[in-house]
Amino acid sequence: MAEQSLLQVKDLSVAIDNELPILHKINLDIKPGETHVLMGPNGAGKSTLGYTLMGNPHYCVTEGNILFDGQDITDFSADKRAKAGMFLSFQNPYEVPGISLSSFIRNASHAQTGQPIKLLAYKKALKSAMEVLSMNEEYADRDLNVGFSGGEKKKAEILQLLMLNPKLAILDETDSGLDVDAVRTVSKGIMEYQKKKDGALLIITHSTKILESLHVDYTHVLVKGKLIHTGDASLVEEINKNGFERFVSDAE
Amino acid sequence: MSEDKKAVVDINRSAYDFKDIENEKDFYRLKEGLTEETVLKVSEEKNDPEWMREFRLKCLKLYNEMEMPDWGPSVEGLDMDKISSYVRHKEDMKGSWEDVPEDIKNTFERLGIPQAERESLAGVGAQYDSELVYHNIKDEVAAQGVIYTDIESALRTEYADMIKSHFMKLLTPTDHKMIALHGAVWSGGSFVYVPKGVKVDIPLQSYFRLNAAGAGQFEHTLIIVDEGADLHFIEGCSAPKYNVANLHSGAVELFVGKNARLRYSTIENWSKNMYNLNSKRAIVEENGVMEWVSGSFGSHTSYLYPMTILKGDHSKMEFTGITFAGKGQNLDTGAKVVHQGVGTTSVINSKSISKDGGIGTYRSSVVIQSTAKKAKASVSCDSLMLDSISRADTIPGMDIRTDDADVGHEAKIGRISDEAVFYLMSRGLSEEDAKAMIVSGFANPVSKELPLEYAVEMNNLIKLEMSGH
Amino acid sequence: MNKNLDMRVNVLPALTYNFLHVNDSKIKEDGIGIELLNTPDAENVPSGVTVTRGVSYKEAGKLFEGFKERILVDAGVPGIPNGDTSARDDAQAVRTGMGIDIENLMLENGITSDVFTAEEGVKTTEPIIIRYNLNDGEGSLTSQVIHAKKDSEITVIMDYTSERSAGGFHGISTRLLAEEGAKINLIKTQTLGDGFIHFDDIGGACFKKGSINVVSLELGAKKSWTGCYINLCEDETEFISNQGYLVKDTHSLDINYVADQRGKKTNVLMNVKGVLMDKAQKTYRGTLDFKSGSSASAGDEQEDTLLLSPDVINRSMPVILCQEEDVEGRHGATIGQLGEDLLFYINSRGIDEQEAKRLMVKAKLDSVARLIPDPEIAEKVQYYISTIV
Repeated sequence: MAEQSLLQVKDLSVAIDNELPILHKINLDIKPGETHVLMGPNGAGKSTLGYTLMGNPHYCVTEGNILFDGQDITDFSADKRAKAGMFLSFQNPYEVPGISLSSFIRNASHAQTGQPIKLLAYKKALKSAMEVLSMNEEYADRDLNVGFSGGEKKKAEILQLLMLNPKLAILDETDSGLDVDAVRTVSKGIMEYQKKKDGALLIITHSTKILESLHVDYTHVLVKGKLIHTGDASLVEEINKNGFERFVSDAE
Repeated sequence: MSEDKKAVVDINRSAYDFKDIENEKDFYRLKEGLTEETVLKVSEEKNDPEWMREFRLKCLKLYNEMEMPDWGPSVEGLDMDKISSYVRHKEDMKGSWEDVPEDIKNTFERLGIPQAERESLAGVGAQYDSELVYHNIKDEVAAQGVIYTDIESALRTEYADMIKSHFMKLLTPTDHKMIALHGAVWSGGSFVYVPKGVKVDIPLQSYFRLNAAGAGQFEHTLIIVDEGADLHFIEGCSAPKYNVANLHSGAVELFVGKNARLRYSTIENWSKNMYNLNSKRAIVEENGVMEWVSGSFGSHTSYLYPMTILKGDHSKMEFTGITFAGKGQNLDTGAKVVHQGVGTTSVINSKSISKDGGIGTYRSSVVIQSTAKKAKASVSCDSLMLDSISRADTIPGMDIRTDDADVGHEAKIGRISDEAVFYLMSRGLSEEDAKAMIVSGFANPVSKELPLEYAVEMNNLIKLEMSGH
Repeated sequence: MNKNLDMRVNVLPALTYNFLHVNDSKIKEDGIGIELLNTPDAENVPSGVTVTRGVSYKEAGKLFEGFKERILVDAGVPGIPNGDTSARDDAQAVRTGMGIDIENLMLENGITSDVFTAEEGVKTTEPIIIRYNLNDGEGSLTSQVIHAKKDSEITVIMDYTSERSAGGFHGISTRLLAEEGAKINLIKTQTLGDGFIHFDDIGGACFKKGSINVVSLELGAKKSWTGCYINLCEDETEFISNQGYLVKDTHSLDINYVADQRGKKTNVLMNVKGVLMDKAQKTYRGTLDFKSGSSASAGDEQEDTLLLSPDVINRSMPVILCQEEDVEGRHGATIGQLGEDLLFYINSRGIDEQEAKRLMVKAKLDSVARLIPDPEIAEKVQYYISTIV
């Protein structure tokens, strides 16, 4: 290993609320700045992996461990993982009435850095990040995700990604339910994160739209809770043409 | 860690709980119990006109005849024989801050009242136990003809007739037992008159402090906002905690004229030995607007349902309230509205939070009389349960007597979802902060209606309650 | 026999302001003639269902008394709502919506119950039908128990009817027990004449995964009272209620429905839709009571009232009591006239206002009538609705 790993997942098995396992012995190694794509048919367990990496208490690690930036974070709560530099863009971001998007991000950065946030600098940074995402400024003062359309919610997630500067961003189906223009805008935001912050990415998707404009280092295929294949960017193309069938039969 | 500590210090309850040991020789305290003798003694202290003394005695008779309602929280812990209805400092009320007795001045300084007056208020009244100790109104507001004084003084001015024709005409002594009690021993409070067309840009505030143990506070607030006038009135209350029951049975009567607007905001933070059996009522003339903003955090037991009578056509009422019932508290709160005029509108938004065995009850009534054609009423109440040893009960009533009305009602009960907490934690917030943030967000529709410094106070009270002290 | 009735019924589970006059209702009627004391013969009784006739009210209640500890299971967390009235009906074999005064009336008058028992595992979807065809001047006071043993399903329709112009008295008490995995479907349709005094009292309990499904249509009678109290005492139990009503002239209807949720993952849905005309009066009380221990339970109560005259009196009391964190409780009510937008839409298709109202009233009540699992009775009820509106 030439470079230190950022995320190492070792023999990870996961069950929901202590019922039957959904993920079986997953291994994954992501280095700083790399972009990994996780693909697979519906119900393969992709989102489960995302939630588990972020520490959703409903998902129990029954075996294996997760190392992040040199620490074993398997037992860390979600906030500690966020502080360590991990970010998850939710597939269905939660609506929080009464807290504006802007003050929420400010609260989150304060919680993560422990530093006081300088209001003017913060507002400037927020404004420019919103410009990248072609977000109407008024969204900053609206309650977090409340009444946002599907596209606006996803943009608000990427906005948080740009503002919070994590080392690794896990994007769970960030492209699902978006029209072509919105996918392009969201991709722009992700590229910004990739380039400017040298951030690593784990992109969970079952389509390939969002990947067109991104540089991909590795592609993983998850079927029935098992990572059964890893390849380079060209694998995306192949799946795009032939679908998952070949892998599904491999998994039998 | 050090920051956490600081946060806790910032919102320490000691800001309200501190006691000033009342030096007995400086205070006059009426003997405990409620008899004709004590009522006459109060009347004598107040130097009442004849009609007022008769009125007090009539109220006492009614009080003795009436029962407490069978629907509310228990008041078993309240023994009138152990309550003194009248406590005052031996020095007279003073208009100037310098003349307020030192011990009382310290109390209000610690509560930040004089500072608030300098920064953001048009006038301030401060009541300590049974008497107002300070009343002041900014010169420019007084110059507009706005009257802000105590009722006793106003009874000796040209406003005597106005007071006589409004005093306890809206809240009448036959309404219920507690208002009869109030009528018998009321003392202190404020009289506000805003003349026709006068708009008071910044709020007036009254602050009530009950410092004596085993005492009652029975202040009377009478506000008349004349045609086309506009006023925001703020009421704050607090008391230190004692092991004996204290009683607050104030009365608020609000008269909102044609095209006038009155906003009445309350942050109630009585100590948790207080029985807060309070009555508030407003009557609104044509096109007038009555707005209530109410935060109930303190008290051991509360009965509080501000009532609005929408008498004039196209008059409006909006109630926004939050109640936080924590350990040992039984807070029964809500709102009442009666639609009489054509095209009248009411909106009730209520939030309640129950925690650590607290009982929070939302209770309301919406009455639409047959004359109230084209009336609109909407009620929305949300309750948040923070554990499974508390109670959150929702008991709303509607009585509709015309088809030409539009009534909507929504109630929800729920908890903080694990998913929401996880989402916030995934952004770096601790579990406690995530929950506090969700609760603050839940309360936001109320806090955003308050002036900034009160919104901050309210958020601090929420944090204080959430930190599970 | 001739009876003077003086009863306090439909007591709200948690009292509120007395000036609203919703805390209870009084049945005060003098000189009521009551002759018919037996439940009419049931039609369509399928095999696997036994009918035991003429069991004394008290004896029939022993079925519930034997299970009292199970029904009134207590999770042990103290605390009652302010104004709690539950102690009042403690002596009932099983709590009913109208309460102890109905039970006492039944006991004092020696009323007997017909007991319908669905044997374990017997599932029938064909409804048993009990028809009350009353003549002018008749008075009827009857009672039934429907007992669905483990994993059974039973459906009973009770239809009360008379000539439109007839008057008289009709009182009924139906008690229900759905054991583990069992399901009771109870359908009650009331199209009594304009001179009738009528009450219909229901009480029941569900054991694990049991469910009770009540459909009720109150369309006739001068004065009506209905009450229903269902104990969801064990896990994954369910109570679904669909009520429809039509009150006209100077008639009155007084309702008290309560879902007492004690088990985990219980589910309640209470829908009530109705129309008030002329000088009619209606009081609706609907309570979701999430008791301690009812975690992961849900309750939803929806009221939809159409007011068609300036002289109606409509009282609504939607109550949610809650002592459990992990529940979802909800209530919604819309009360008023036909929405202007909807009216405009219908008008724009060439239908005038009167006809539009008629359509909407029919639509509202038909949506409940459609739930009657007997085409003939459903049709009869729908015809009845169309003749009134």
